[in-house]
Amino acid sequence: MKRSTLLTFVSVAAIVPIALLAISINENKAEQKELATVPPIKKLESRSSEWGKHYRRQYDSYMQTRKSDKIKDMLQDSPALVVLWAGYGFSKDYNAPRGHYYMLEDNINTLRTGGPVDAITGPMPTACWTCKSTDVPRLIDKIGEMDYFTGKWARHGSEIANPVGCGDCHDNETMRLTITRDFLKRGLDAEGSLKAADATHQDMRSLVCAQCHSEYYFKKTEWTDKNGEKKTAGVVTFPWDNGFSAEAMETYYDDISFVDWTHKVSKTPMLKAQHPGYEIFKTGAHGLNNVACADCHMPYVREGGVKYSSHNVSSPLEQMASTCMNCHNEEEKAFKDRVARKLERKTELNKTAMDVIAKAHLEAGKAWELGATEAEMKDILQDIRHAQWRWDYSIASHGSFFHAPEETLRILGSAINKGQDARVKLRAVLAKYNAGDFTAPDFSTKEKAQEVVGLPYQKLVDEKMTFLDGLRKEWIEQQKQKGLYDPAAWEGLVFNTSYAPARTSAEVVKK
Amino acid sequence: METKNMMKYVSILSVFAVVGMFAYLVHASKLFSYLTEDPKVCINCHTMNTQYATWQHSSHRERATCVECHLPQESLFNKLLAKSRDGFKHSYAMTFRTYEGQEISASESAQERIQANCIACHREIVSQIMANAKLYEVKDDSGQIDRKCWSCHRFVPHGRARGLNATPDNLGVKEI
Repeated sequence: MKRSTLLTFVSVAAIVPIALLAISINENKAEQKELATVPPIKKLESRSSEWGKHYRRQYDSYMQTRKSDKIKDMLQDSPALVVLWAGYGFSKDYNAPRGHYYMLEDNINTLRTGGPVDAITGPMPTACWTCKSTDVPRLIDKIGEMDYFTGKWARHGSEIANPVGCGDCHDNETMRLTITRDFLKRGLDAEGSLKAADATHQDMRSLVCAQCHSEYYFKKTEWTDKNGEKKTAGVVTFPWDNGFSAEAMETYYDDISFVDWTHKVSKTPMLKAQHPGYEIFKTGAHGLNNVACADCHMPYVREGGVKYSSHNVSSPLEQMASTCMNCHNEEEKAFKDRVARKLERKTELNKTAMDVIAKAHLEAGKAWELGATEAEMKDILQDIRHAQWRWDYSIASHGSFFHAPEETLRILGSAINKGQDARVKLRAVLAKYNAGDFTAPDFSTKEKAQEVVGLPYQKLVDEKMTFLDGLRKEWIEQQKQKGLYDPAAWEGLVFNTSYAPARTSAEVVKK
Repeated sequence: METKNMMKYVSILSVFAVVGMFAYLVHASKLFSYLTEDPKVCINCHTMNTQYATWQHSSHRERATCVECHLPQESLFNKLLAKSRDGFKHSYAMTFRTYEGQEISASESAQERIQANCIACHREIVSQIMANAKLYEVKDDSGQIDRKCWSCHRFVPHGRARGLNATPDNLGVKEI
């Protein structure tokens, strides 16, 4: 055989197995690609059940947050709160928080958001939706941040359709944790100890929570829309420029003369602390050791051979075997007892602080009534402002007694001190007006307290019910037309509030 | 004369074709990646996704790559020998799908290497254990018992997850 023929023969003989091998390799690669492909989920998809189709376990565990359904009326529990917040929404209605599943429902039902009859009525601004729904990042992306933060709460009613869920923390393409609220990035950068761009994965496991579990205020910001019209937005802003501590934020607010509301009884220019959970947490033992929120509130759990992080965000004490006991070697009971003792300590100082500051408000009210002058009251009001700010900062995040017990008790101590400072000064003023023996009226029940501060409770309830049976239902219809309504997020939900009898959603529809 | 010329061209062309095909094969199989120590090479195919994912979620990912445990470390020659032998076995199994329906587990020789590597890294902690084992747990003439580190430390580092569906959502575009 000729050399060239032989060469051809050998080549063809080599090509065949190489080609077959190449085909086999490509098949394997295609398999790997398919296995490793993240399922398609729309950018900023707000319906969690859409994500749940592909991440069943995470979604199912998230839906378990609906078991945290008890309504605990905090005003009933501590009627002093009504006095402390007189003239402000929280004196109308304030419950202990329920599971993530209920966030939007509770925001819509609370008497604080009132009973708007159209897009421009109601007491609250659009910013009140900001931490309640996956539709918020979607809407901000659609209409822009400034436009989103402009107008009344009811304006976005037909757009905000889903409670906090998957899209609030996850990137739709990679499932990576992501910050969907830019005000957190701005806050972190202003504070400076951890720039948003430098956050590690472990940091992110707390920061996604810090988007909402932080102190904030609505910063008045002028902007011009595309038609050249001047508007004012109330932009959620973290007061972190001077740091995370109660004193640092107090200085921040004092420097810009910020006032949340003027107290109805004492005329104090007040601050309302929201829930500085992240800030306080960072000062405690767990925060200092870079334990993340998710480490304890979203522990890894096993189902059969599968390990995943539980999205049933709840108290770590409910599943101690997969939370505390991962790091601590101790008996569960000893642990629970110790945590209970921490709570008792806070409750003790908390009660004292509320009592002192509430009385200071009422005594200041009496002083005004008797004709006290602005000059006489100025220092007193500043003391009350600071006392209540510190008290509120220390307890508003609920978990502070555990996250950072020392810091919490320290701030409560300083709140009581400031409150008593005000009362000592008030006694002198009252004595001057011949009321040195004045005793603050009784505010030992929610009803008495609301009467003391002059709150038209039944009117508020009636307005709310009218809203729920009217405009609220229109919103749902509009949400359905826009394809935003997720039946899975609402089915079987029981209407449960502090002010009206419970009813199921079927009963709501009938009515 | 013409046939002879044509045959010559055909033969040259076919040699080019072989070289081309081979070059494509090198490219498609990411052949050169196997010369590195990057753990991602082990998930060029999907078969070891679970092993990769469990390692990637373990503390060992900070200290030890796949080959640092699974290949002998005492000499370069033995390392390359083991790598080529395992590589051939894996390619064969993958191409002819002989592994299907079976649980992937380390061969006896691989177990010896892994054990040696556990001891090599954790030498200071285990030296007394080794000495005690030699003294008190003599099993055969060699003086070694055949229990391995992971006979007790069963979750290190891969956990007990074996099937692909035991580690859902762990890879994705993050890794590949």
